[in-house]
Amino acid sequence: MGESFVQLPEEGFVTRVIRRKLQLVASIAIISLAAAACGGSSDTSTDASASGSGVSGDVFISGSSTVEPISVRVAELFESIEPDVFVDVEGPGTGDGFQKFCAGETDISNASRQIKDAEAEDCAAAGIEYTEIKVGIDGIAVLTNANNSAVDCVTFENLFNLIGPNGEGTTTWAAADSSLPDAPLDIFGPGAESGTYDSFIEIVLEDLAEEAGVDATTRTDYNPSAEDNIIIQGIQSSDTSLGWVGFAFAGTESKLLEVDGGDGCVAANADTIASNEYPIARDLFIYVNNANAEENAALRAYVDFYVTEGLDTAVAEVGYVPLTDAAKDEVRAGWNG
Amino acid sequence: MADISISNSSTAAVGSLSVEALAGPQKRARKEALIRSVFLLASLVSILISVLIVVSLVRESWTFMTQVDWSVTWGQNGWRPRRGLYDMPTLLVASLIVTVIAMLVAGPLGLGAAIYLSEYASKKTRSFFKPILEVLAGVPSVVLGFFALFFISPQVIERIGRNGWLVIGAVIIIAYLAVIAGWTRNLVRREAGTELATQIKRVLTLTALVATALILIWWVNSVAGSGDPASADFFSVKRSGQLAAAAVGVGILTIPLVASVSEDALASVPQELRSASAGLGARKLTTTVQVVLPAAVSGIVAAFIIGISRALGETMVVFMAGGAADEATFTSSPFEGSLTMTAGMASLATGTDNVVGEGLTFQSLYFVGFVLFLLTLFLNIAAGRFVNRVRERY
Amino acid sequence: MGLSTIGDNQVARRVEDEIFRSGRDLRGTGFRTLMFSALAVSVFILAVLIVQVVVDGWPTLSGRFGDFWSGTLRSRSSDDGLGISQGLKGSVWIAAFVAFFSFPIGVSAAIYLEEYAPRNWLTNTIDIAIRNLAGVPSVVYGLLGLFLFVKTLNGGQSALFAGGLTLAILVLPIIVITSAEAIRAVPSSLKQGAYGVGATQWDVIRTQVLPFAAPGILTGTLLSLSRAVGEAAPLILVGAITGRLAARDSSLIDQLGERFTAMPIIIVGWVRNSGADEGFGPAAGAAIVVLLALVIAMNSVAVLLRGYFEKKRG
Repeated sequence: MGESFVQLPEEGFVTRVIRRKLQLVASIAIISLAAAACGGSSDTSTDASASGSGVSGDVFISGSSTVEPISVRVAELFESIEPDVFVDVEGPGTGDGFQKFCAGETDISNASRQIKDAEAEDCAAAGIEYTEIKVGIDGIAVLTNANNSAVDCVTFENLFNLIGPNGEGTTTWAAADSSLPDAPLDIFGPGAESGTYDSFIEIVLEDLAEEAGVDATTRTDYNPSAEDNIIIQGIQSSDTSLGWVGFAFAGTESKLLEVDGGDGCVAANADTIASNEYPIARDLFIYVNNANAEENAALRAYVDFYVTEGLDTAVAEVGYVPLTDAAKDEVRAGWNG
Repeated sequence: MADISISNSSTAAVGSLSVEALAGPQKRARKEALIRSVFLLASLVSILISVLIVVSLVRESWTFMTQVDWSVTWGQNGWRPRRGLYDMPTLLVASLIVTVIAMLVAGPLGLGAAIYLSEYASKKTRSFFKPILEVLAGVPSVVLGFFALFFISPQVIERIGRNGWLVIGAVIIIAYLAVIAGWTRNLVRREAGTELATQIKRVLTLTALVATALILIWWVNSVAGSGDPASADFFSVKRSGQLAAAAVGVGILTIPLVASVSEDALASVPQELRSASAGLGARKLTTTVQVVLPAAVSGIVAAFIIGISRALGETMVVFMAGGAADEATFTSSPFEGSLTMTAGMASLATGTDNVVGEGLTFQSLYFVGFVLFLLTLFLNIAAGRFVNRVRERY
Repeated sequence: MGLSTIGDNQVARRVEDEIFRSGRDLRGTGFRTLMFSALAVSVFILAVLIVQVVVDGWPTLSGRFGDFWSGTLRSRSSDDGLGISQGLKGSVWIAAFVAFFSFPIGVSAAIYLEEYAPRNWLTNTIDIAIRNLAGVPSVVYGLLGLFLFVKTLNGGQSALFAGGLTLAILVLPIIVITSAEAIRAVPSSLKQGAYGVGATQWDVIRTQVLPFAAPGILTGTLLSLSRAVGEAAPLILVGAITGRLAARDSSLIDQLGERFTAMPIIIVGWVRNSGADEGFGPAAGAAIVVLLALVIAMNSVAVLLRGYFEKKRG
């Protein structure tokens, strides 16, 4: 059966055809991309956008997974007004987001901290100019198990001793900090990719680490997780656990410790966070690519909506602390100017 | 072609029957050749894909291997790719734990099911159970991930961990190993001197050593790791999924594979062997255990190797129920969360189409992928050898 | 085989039963029970799994069936617009990619290997390549897709065609292997008969081999379709979206270049969200019920189809 009428095709011929096939795939991709790009900007159906101004276009957002729900919620609210503006959101993390943003791949970068100097330099080198917009506040809650009655309030020094690099290898609270009770210490927190991790270091650990002459980082022998529920569940798994998560995800199952940032113990709640009394709170930002905003009316309209309805409604809806009215006015003035 | 007409071919000499004439019209031959080359082309796609896989893996892995400071890949206390710490033992040990537990689930269940289906079940029973096993084989791994996280972890693993039932688990494991050991001894005695016997002996000794070492490590870990000796927990168990829960999920996914490959092996044992054994007065049990199983042993070994390869490559179950995301601290306890090689890769890539991070983060993805690829390739080739041995024998 | 065989022969079975009636052969009965319990446990696990998932997902599915079907990815689980339409769309597309690329290429390759291939190094290489590809973990195909389609062909942006092609490649070896088995089972008498009346090789394949092997090929294709629809790991690597995907109304060709998601990806995303927002847990359960129904339906049709033809041909 295997006998053939002709000789095997030459190797060169086969390779050529395969190559042609690959080119076909490539050209399908390119054509469809081009079509997508054209389709996006030329497709202006007017009947569906009765309530809006009828702008259309694509907006792509990447960055912090903490801010992601706000931007998604804003997009959901915006959708009913401008149905022809298409907003896609992904959330790999603040650092990843800035890398893409400064490569010009995204329109908006969600961030749970301000842009770092190194990142700003990358942006400048690539010629990307941007506008920073503060959208809300996220308190960082310090948690322990609800059964833990031995500790109510911790100072920044306590936290540095417990979670900072000097705590490496300690297995009880007392071993890390002699002023604390002698109980097993199990620490749960976000991993290094998370904005909550960066913020915690920046707010709580950085100055003390400098004084102590050690790196501003955490000990490495804690249980890191990118998922807040895993951190919460970890805290519940041990009676004398310690952990930190975004205030929105603290829930009610664990005990929120009061924190002393130098001005006495303050409990974490929406009021103390918005008023900046609670010491471990961080601002949430979006960074908008200026050049893209100028070209893309859809992006402009989305950010316009973000700084009005978004700040008023969406931030609270997804569990963050909204800005005060004065701060909102400042943000709006900053964007419109 | 009884009727060779002289006008059939222009190259055929008039009145004589030539080979060329038998080939039929040229047009027809050309068409046949064209069709043939289209089919050849389609089959060459598989080589192309293989080459592309190797090229993509080697390219980025090479960058990683030539640029990385090797001290960050060994002896760090965790896999933290975004901080530039690529501790391979963290991933390798987690993969080993998951694979071993998965095979402790899938091995006996899969082989038992295969023995029953092949040796005992009536046609009717077979036609009832076989499709069900095939449905189980088709369950997507995300479903098992969900099941492992929301059911196996809280309902099974945590109870074991909290009540010290692990002692019972350990007893079962040891009993299981003892059975294997006894069985192997019989087998080796029977096949003494053959190359197969030595090989199996080697593989099983190694497995037993690794398993014993693991049990010891867990035990030491539990004694050294629990700060509160009065704690009722045999091991401290995290509620949010752990390697053990994920491993049981992976094991469930692997059952049908082990069952179907083992069953094929059992089915390939000639009926004459069974008849002869029965004719000599052997009981069904004796026939099955002492005649059929030894005859099919290569295939069963292959089934286990294929199962191990599958468990090693399973991603989603560990990613969802393994109790860690993005980073993992080194652990040798199945009751903690960690990342296997596969879950580590998925964690790193989640939520984005561009994996970035410090320096070699993106390349580390391909390095881990390359290591995984080589391991599974080795296992698959080994399994193929064992399968061929059965084929050659009968 | 003229001799009685233990396996299926009624007489032998009856004789055996007489000799080893329960009580006389305790160890035998014990062993048999043990083996049966292995099978039973496996089936029981499947039952528990299905019951658990349906219990978790049913309230969402029955409570807001229509909305759930037509809804999209949302930031909050309480949103009325939460649903799986985008995942379904992605998964249907992926199935289309498998049908469009893997099916013709896979069946052609199987025909070549079974009907044409001479015994030489090339055939050997192809054979080894296919066998090893079938054992490559799915996440590694994701690495290939990320490198080849996303980074090289699409400048780093994830797109539907990248996910579709990656999964098409993933299931190709399965289609080749199952189709080759089906083609191998064609009786050579059928083919000889066709050659005897002057058919060319292609004629034989077209009129004899393919019709006879069709059920087997179809079974393999259905199994690989359900595999592709259930795969998540490669799509995660290729960059499927779990955050927000705009509800565009684009033409089919446009969709190929757009970001995408799929049923298993939605499930993973919701399971991860369920920590911050518990309502996503049941939503994930409901999505699983849909996915599982889809996959089990495809698998069952495949298995029944094969059983039917096996019986028909004796």
